[in-house]
Amino acid sequence: MNTYEHTYILSQNLNQKDLKDIRTKIENIIEKNQGKIQKVEDWGLRNLAYPIKKFKKGYYSNIFFSGTVNAVFELEKFERIDENVLRFLTFKVKEVPKENSELCLK
Amino acid sequence: MIRKNFKKTKKKKNSNLMLFQKPVIKFKRECPLSGKNAPMVNYKNIKLLQKYISETGKMLPSRITSVSYSKQKELSSEIKKARILALLPFTND
Repeated sequence: MNTYEHTYILSQNLNQKDLKDIRTKIENIIEKNQGKIQKVEDWGLRNLAYPIKKFKKGYYSNIFFSGTVNAVFELEKFERIDENVLRFLTFKVKEVPKENSELCLK
Repeated sequence: MIRKNFKKTKKKKNSNLMLFQKPVIKFKRECPLSGKNAPMVNYKNIKLLQKYISETGKMLPSRITSVSYSKQKELSSEIKKARILALLPFTND
C-alpha cells in the first residue's frame, strides 16, 4: 500500500452538475479498486499557463489516496479516454499534509 | 644566554604584497531553502518557484541564487511537475 497524490484538470465548458458527476466517478474508481481517499481539495477555476486543447481555463482538483498500483492504473485508464479531462498527474507521497495548500479555495 | 641585540621583527601590514593575497573577508551566502524556518519546496507553492525562474521561463543557475546542490535538484523536479499541470509556463515569450 502506497499513498498517492493525484491532480487533474477538467475543461472549462462543464456545468456544475457535470463537474460533480466526473468527480464522483473518479472517487468511485478508487474505492472500487480497494483504495482509500484521505483528502480532497478543490482549487476552482484557474488560468492555464499555456493553452491545452485550445482551452485557456480549467477546473483543478486534487486527491490524496492510499491504494495499490491497480487503482492508479484504472484511474489513468479512465482519464485518458474521457475528453473532459485535460491533464492529470499522479506520484507517490510519503505523508499526507494536514494543512490545505495555498491554491485551495477557502 | 642573554641576547642583547634582539630586535623584534614585525610584519608590515600594509605592504604592496597585500594586493596579490586572498582577502580576509569571505562572502558567504547561505542556501535560502535549507536550514530552519526554510519554506517547503513544493509544486503547489507557485510564488516560491517563480523566484527561481527567469523571465523567459527557464530555471536560474544555482551560482546566481546560491541554492545548495540537493535543493536545486528538488527544485528542478518540482518545477517540472508544475509545468505539466500548466501552473508554470514552459516558455514565456
